[in-house]
Formats: sequence, structure tokens, C-alpha cells
Amino acid sequence: MKIIKEISILLGASIIAAFAVNYFSPTGIAVIGQWDTAKGVITANGKNDIVLNDLEIGNVTSAKKLYDSRRFVFVDARSRDDYDEGHIKGAVSLPVGQFDEKLETFLEQYPPEKPIITYCSGRTCEDSHKLAQLLLQLGYTEISVFIDGFPGWEAEGHPIE
Amino acid sequence: MNKHIKIFYDNGRIELAARWILGGIFVYASYDKILAPAVFAKIIYGYDLFPALFINLIAIIVPFLELVAGLALIIGFYPRSAALIVNAMLLLFIITISINLIRGHEFDCGCFSINSTTQQISAGALISRDFLILALGLYTFFYRNERKFCMLSSPVSYSKTGGRMES
Repeated sequence: MKIIKEISILLGASIIAAFAVNYFSPTGIAVIGQWDTAKGVITANGKNDIVLNDLEIGNVTSAKKLYDSRRFVFVDARSRDDYDEGHIKGAVSLPVGQFDEKLETFLEQYPPEKPIITYCSGRTCEDSHKLAQLLLQLGYTEISVFIDGFPGWEAEGHPIE
Repeated sequence: MNKHIKIFYDNGRIELAARWILGGIFVYASYDKILAPAVFAKIIYGYDLFPALFINLIAIIVPFLELVAGLALIIGFYPRSAALIVNAMLLLFIITISINLIRGHEFDCGCFSINSTTQQISAGALISRDFLILALGLYTFFYRNERKFCMLSSPVSYSKTGGRMES
């Protein structure tokens, strides 16, 4: 039937165009993404991906140990409103969305030598990774991302405020 | 067939308007997703309906289906088949949104803009909107008269009998 031929042509053109553009586009993504929260923060595995699994602290227990060592500054990447509603005790607010405006005061208090742990609202949120990238570019060297974020911390009954 | 309905139905200008609007909507909808497939993929993940293996493939292919079908409608390249593809997509959109509406799963539509902070439309409104667009799509599909400004439109064999019997 004619319509089947026509539809095949249109579908074929779409699929070829889709993969060609995805291959050459700087924002293209992998054919298969990482959508399993058990393995870390979810991501489409794009070329401009900001999720670096090497930086991740994969569970709340390890994060708590680092927290108790008091060597690290916990930095909250979520919005100010979320931070005000509740955050890890002693954490500093540095919303990714307001990074440029908040940066100056942050730099004064926490120079690039400080070891930093970023977090946001869990494994489906990549703001903590985004923040880690921005800080790495500024010369911070010791950065980790606590991927379970505030919800994971709170669920374990660790100190919040 | 009722005379007024028939005039409406056989009017090439109305068909052209419907086809261009429909095509425009789909081209516009594809734009943001093509620029940021990773963001679109995350929205698809958020629908919580698709196996992980297919999420990226959907994010890669669907925007181009929208773009190609939309362009085909505008330039009149196999318009009837393009309308069929668009209708199939609209039906799938309606089904996925309905499932999440029924089970009360919160999700980000990702229909046009993929910047979730700017839009807060209820799922019910989304479905109604899709049905309106689907009406345009069905009209474009079932239209039987000659189509204006078409690059490549296969003539529908039964159009003449259907069009002339009552006139």
C-alpha cells in the first residue's frame, strides 16, 4: 500500500536525521543512558555531561564518616528556599542557579584549599554535580559529591537544621 | 452529508491552514528537544513508564519524528502520511499523560519547552490541548479534496467520487 511506503520514507528520514544530528551535535547523547539510581546519579551520558561518577560518595554511611571528620565543608546546591526548609547541619548554601552572585562571599569564607562535599536532593538531581564542576573550574581540588543528598541524609536520622 | 459540513470539509484553504498550524506546532515542539536531548531524556525518565534501555533512543528519535512530520505537513510532502504519524504521536502523548494522571504520578510534560521552571500546566489541560491538536490532525488526515501548495501529495483515488456525488 502506498501509505505504508510513504510512512516508511518519513520514518526512515527521521531516524537517519536523528542519529546523524545526535552524532555530530555537541549536545548529543549516548544510545543508552545511566538510568539506574542504584549505580549513582542518573544521566543520559551526553557529550557535555556534568555527572562524573569518580567524584561520587555512593552511600550515606561514608558521607557521615567524612562529616564526622569535620575536615569537609558540606555545600548545598539546591535553591535557597529548599535550604531554608531544612539542610544538613552546618552546610553552606550555594544554589547552582545563583552561583555567580553568591560566589564572592563563598570564596572569601571557603578558599580553594578547603575540601568540599556538594549535595542536592538525591540521585535524580544533578545540581550537586554541576556545582562540583563549577568549583573545580575555579581551582578547588578536593571535591566530592554526596549523591544521596538531603533526603538520604534525613532518612538516616543524621543531624539536620 | 450536511452541506455546510461538506463545504467546510472540501475547502482547500481550511485544509491548508490546519496543515500549516499542525506542522508549525510540531516543528516548534521539536526545537528545544533537539538542542538539549539530555534534558529531554531526563524528562522521559521522569514519566516513569519506559525501560531504561529505551529512554535515550526515545530522546534521540522522537524530536526528529516531530520535526520531519511537521516539515512534511508544511511543505506538503506526503501530507496524509505525515498527518497519520502526527496523530499516532498525539495518541501516544495522550496515553502516557493519562496514565500518569490516573496513577497520580507527578511529571514534567516536556511538551514544548523543556525548561520545567517556566510551565505549570495541569495534566488535564495537557490532555485537552492534545485532543485539540489531534482534531486538527484527524481533519488533515481525512480531508479528501485536492490539497494546496503540496510538493508531493499522492492523489486519493476515492476523492472524486466522494467529492462530486452530492454536488
